[in-house]
Amino acid sequence: MRMNKLVTALVAAGAMVAAGPGLAQDIKLGVVAGMSGPGTSYGIGIRQGAEMAVKEINAAGGIKGRKISLVVVDDASNPAQSVSAMQRLVSDGVDLVVGGWGSSQVLANMEVAERAGLPYIVVGATNPKITTDKNKWTYRVIFTDSVQAEQIAEAAVKRLGMKRIAVIHDANDYGVGNRDIFLASLKKLGVEPVVVVPYQTADKDFTAQLTRIREANPDGLAIFGTIPAAPAIMNQARDLGIKARFIGTGGLANENLMTLAPKASEGTVLTTYFHEDVDPEARAWADRYVKEFSGGSQPPRPVLAAWEYRAIKYIAAPCLEQAGTDKEKLRQCFANWKGKLFSVPGEAYFDKTGQLIQQSVLVEVGNGNFQAFKGK
Amino acid sequence: MFGQLVIGGFATGCIYAVVGLGFTLVYRTLRMVNFAQGHVFMAGTFLGLVIAERMHLPALPLLLVVGAVAFGLGMVLERFVFRRLYHNHEVFIVGSIGLGIVLMNGVRVFFPEPVPFPKVFGSEVVQIGTARFQEAYLWVVAATLILVVLLHAMFTYTRTGRALRAVAADAEIAGAVGVNVKRAIGLTFGLSFAVAAIAGVLIGPLYFVSFDMGDMVGLKAFSAAVFGGINSIPGTILGGIVIGILENLAGGYISSAYKDLVAFVILLLMLIWRPTGLLGRETPVKV
Amino acid sequence: MGSALTRWLVAGSALLALLALPAVAPQYVVHISNFVLIYTLPVIGLGFLTGFTGRVSLAQGALFGTGAYTTALLTTKFGWAPIATLVPSVVVTVVLAVALGGAAVRLAGLYFVMATIGIQQIVWLVLMNWIELTNGPQGVRSIPSLGAWGYSFETPQQFYFLALGLALVSYVLAKRVIKSRLGLFLRALSDDQLAASSVAVEVGRAKVTALALSAAWAGAGGFLYAHYVRYIHPDMFGLEPSVLFLVMSMFGGYRSVEGMILATAVLESATEYLRPFGEFRMIAYGLVLLLGMMFFPKGILTLFRRRAATSAAGSSA
Repeated sequence: MRMNKLVTALVAAGAMVAAGPGLAQDIKLGVVAGMSGPGTSYGIGIRQGAEMAVKEINAAGGIKGRKISLVVVDDASNPAQSVSAMQRLVSDGVDLVVGGWGSSQVLANMEVAERAGLPYIVVGATNPKITTDKNKWTYRVIFTDSVQAEQIAEAAVKRLGMKRIAVIHDANDYGVGNRDIFLASLKKLGVEPVVVVPYQTADKDFTAQLTRIREANPDGLAIFGTIPAAPAIMNQARDLGIKARFIGTGGLANENLMTLAPKASEGTVLTTYFHEDVDPEARAWADRYVKEFSGGSQPPRPVLAAWEYRAIKYIAAPCLEQAGTDKEKLRQCFANWKGKLFSVPGEAYFDKTGQLIQQSVLVEVGNGNFQAFKGK
Repeated sequence: MFGQLVIGGFATGCIYAVVGLGFTLVYRTLRMVNFAQGHVFMAGTFLGLVIAERMHLPALPLLLVVGAVAFGLGMVLERFVFRRLYHNHEVFIVGSIGLGIVLMNGVRVFFPEPVPFPKVFGSEVVQIGTARFQEAYLWVVAATLILVVLLHAMFTYTRTGRALRAVAADAEIAGAVGVNVKRAIGLTFGLSFAVAAIAGVLIGPLYFVSFDMGDMVGLKAFSAAVFGGINSIPGTILGGIVIGILENLAGGYISSAYKDLVAFVILLLMLIWRPTGLLGRETPVKV
Repeated sequence: MGSALTRWLVAGSALLALLALPAVAPQYVVHISNFVLIYTLPVIGLGFLTGFTGRVSLAQGALFGTGAYTTALLTTKFGWAPIATLVPSVVVTVVLAVALGGAAVRLAGLYFVMATIGIQQIVWLVLMNWIELTNGPQGVRSIPSLGAWGYSFETPQQFYFLALGLALVSYVLAKRVIKSRLGLFLRALSDDQLAASSVAVEVGRAKVTALALSAAWAGAGGFLYAHYVRYIHPDMFGLEPSVLFLVMSMFGGYRSVEGMILATAVLESATEYLRPFGEFRMIAYGLVLLLGMMFFPKGILTLFRRRAATSAAGSSA
């Protein structure tokens, strides 16, 4: 009887081992993000960025003749599945991971990477707890909530002149992290929020929260959350008669925001990771990217693809050239990396905690697009 | 604030009521619970989405077409799938859960992300006192009312309706007096699928639709049916509306975190206190 | 079939094969085997409840989670040593199950299922929303691995032996319970409710005992799970795992502990193997459930192993 169990397991394992694509000497680059379920639009952008970068690198001869092969795993934007996804990447023997979207997912899956000694560049999670003095193998390129939430707080008070700010936030790490930093920044600026309410990522109806917010009569509503909750909140808020201007951080930096809330999202001010007007290379890349990925079943999402692309092309690839696939040498290469990346003003480098130091960009939603934020 | 919460809750409550009707209809006839019901509701929404986008049907024809298609699907599935699950409760439950999973992930293949539903019921915002809401809410309430009236009329005045009631009361005797029991059961499933799908189209324009929207709604509609009386149609309607309003009030006044808890606490308490529900009649065998 | 010697030989060689597994199989197989071993606990627990009282529960996932959260919070928030949390995990789970479900056990079959759905959802919602206690959707991270006297069960291979040991212990215990007076009485309950109800007072208490037993096994399984995956989140303990545990116990045929273990192994391996196929994996899973119930309502494995099952059940009577 228990022999059956053993046989079944062995057969399953054998089939899995046999099914891996790619040649033995390929460099295996793992990507984990949510490509199904609510967070799909973010994950697809990341995957597109990875595909574009890897295609260009391989077309130019690869890394010292070796091609990069992508191993993409979907975690459905779910922390529990993200842990399994990372474990799969570890079992598959990838050389490094560039990806990771969602603070709760990354906080969970980075533990697997740390235990396995796997170099991991995070492109899509902004909670400050990801890069501290505890992580040895995890590096992060996207800026943190400490930077973003503070910047949007300042913009709200000093540039937009908001006095009665309400906050609605996701109850996960992303929402809570942003809320805490935002409120602390507001306090430093001498402002108290009028009401702070949470919601769960999967919520669809926000009448209860928004009714309370409406009672508080705010002139600004900070939304710390992601698609699809954020546009739903915006639509429902406007339906309820809330006229406050929306502000937020990187969770809103997704083209789908304007697709799902075409009218309600107008005028939203947010911090973002990428904007094509920052410098000419950014514009050139954005045009190339949109051309490559238009016409598919998914519209192109330059904002999310940008970090994945830049991390692979300008950080991972040069380090792979220099250090090969030895994990410890790769790690050290990241630690010492410095350079210029498009759409990032000035030079960028990783600090002691593995965080890429850089400035963020403020944009405003106008005419269904992200436009540079000019002042009011 | 109270008015806003009550009106919003009333509309979602109507949805729970209508989907819950599906549970009630099947339970009355078969004494079984169909756990695919929530996902049928979701499938109905997507069916409506596809038809609305391809054929640009206005509201009423859309509802009728979706209802008719769902009705047919319900009868077909009863004949080939559900009929094989009648052995005992757990077989039916697990089997219907499996069907629900297939439905949900089948839709997921085509629609992995949440998408907006066309505003077939108009996009004006209506104001009553301090409460503002989409005009689609009015459609939800009106449709629920009409549906209940139609069903009541059917069960009371038509031969088919009376046949269904006979089968629900006692299938053996109904069969003995010449009612085609198998067809009656098929019709019941058809009806339960149709109402769920219609509820799906009604709620579509109010929120983004996604493949996972049926899960929670199904469970809450189930709670509503049990609460009001899973073998009582008016009970189910009442249960749905009460749960819809109560959970909105709890979310607004106590904490949005525990809004979903309302339905399930009510479910558990009602089962412990009075399993037949508020308006139910049958005495369960308690051993 | 039936010579005691043959049975001992089969069991012995199976045991040897199990012990040798980590040495010969790739890491991923050991990893899956660990999950199989962990899951046998809540599945056997469910077998107690369903097979011996005729009550189906869809709350086992929540109870599994209660055990997991108890140990996770005690070790991460209060610094308890992992070993010390096994008993509290089991106790908390049993107390919760009896508190919420005790009153419901007297309900007839279908109504009891409904009640367990309520319990499942309530526990899941509390795990998700009582953020001060459970961290809600952030989950509990950095759960320590199990260890004693300087040795820790950290890698999948190390953990395997611990899990195997505990699974064996629970297997032996389960067979003991089945053969005991309680087990006989519980099976009589399920076979003929009316006859058994002639001893009415005993019936109620026996049912609650069965519920408590099933909760204890679930809590112990949760304890193991938390210290293996080292990160837990409320979504791991929702309706989906409850259904999975129920299906594993149904496919195995409730009365046969071996059957349930085998069903767990097959289903878990299958779902892991299908993982790369995304949505299609879930469609396949749904079809397995649906078709399994349509064509093998009494348990797939009992079809092939009818003789073994009857002889096992018969000899333990």
